[in-house]
Amino acid sequence: MVNRPAGIPEDAEIASTGGFNKYVGPLYRLKDLEDGAVKRFAFAAAEQHMNGAGTVHGGMLMTFLDTSMSRTSRLISGANGTATVSLTCDFVAPAKLGDVIESRVCVTRRTRTIVFLSCELVCGERVLMVGSGVWKISGAEE
Amino acid sequence: MSALLEKLSGYRATRLIDPFENFVGPLYEIGEKLARRYAFVVDERHVNMRGVIHGGMLMTLADMTMGQAAWDACDHADVVTLNMQSQFIRGARLGEIVEVQPVLTRRTRSIIFLRGDFMVGDEIIFSCASLWKILGQD
Repeated sequence: MVNRPAGIPEDAEIASTGGFNKYVGPLYRLKDLEDGAVKRFAFAAAEQHMNGAGTVHGGMLMTFLDTSMSRTSRLISGANGTATVSLTCDFVAPAKLGDVIESRVCVTRRTRTIVFLSCELVCGERVLMVGSGVWKISGAEE
Repeated sequence: MSALLEKLSGYRATRLIDPFENFVGPLYEIGEKLARRYAFVVDERHVNMRGVIHGGMLMTLADMTMGQAAWDACDHADVVTLNMQSQFIRGARLGEIVEVQPVLTRRTRSIIFLRGDFMVGDEIIFSCASLWKILGQD
């Protein structure tokens, strides 16, 4: 069993296998909730994720939100590729060093070419960020 | 590569304070406060498996550059992001330069409205509208 940061379950799988996700990660996938209706991911806030005020940088929170939602768009559509078209993020509360930040992604609607998603980032039960966005399924007709 | 350096001539490195910004940086800037233009070179760290810049990196770049402009707009008071709306119009590829000149839409006593069109050459690749809170102001 691979070592996980404090607060990340031992059985969590690595969700950041390459590219920018791997560079800012590790990011993990957690077990679904509500019979698969809620997809969950997590990361532990480390030194490189912080801003000068000692809270987690907004860019890192938005990156984690985008990765969680993009992965969900592929999981629920079965598509090899999807692309973020639009994303709105509200910065509700700050996170600090060592916090385990969890994403909970819900599908609002899926059409043949488009996926609508919403996502909350939480630390415990405290909401840090809420996001909603639109993903295009690659390869589907324009 | 020489074309890239030529394109960045006149730019200077932006002084980055946040550890995360130094982790993904550098960022370059040209021009005076409130009319400043920023440039960012897409390298191996910033792309996904297809060699296209990660959406999270674009939003981080938006947060960095709009944040610099917000800070300038309130004479370097403490500001935090309240909201960021992003449109992903095209990709930017490894080695390309992404440029933006943040636009101050409105500043009230406590809120700053900023937007930006992020360009590769003459094409808009990403667009954002953001809201910032000036801390300590009701």
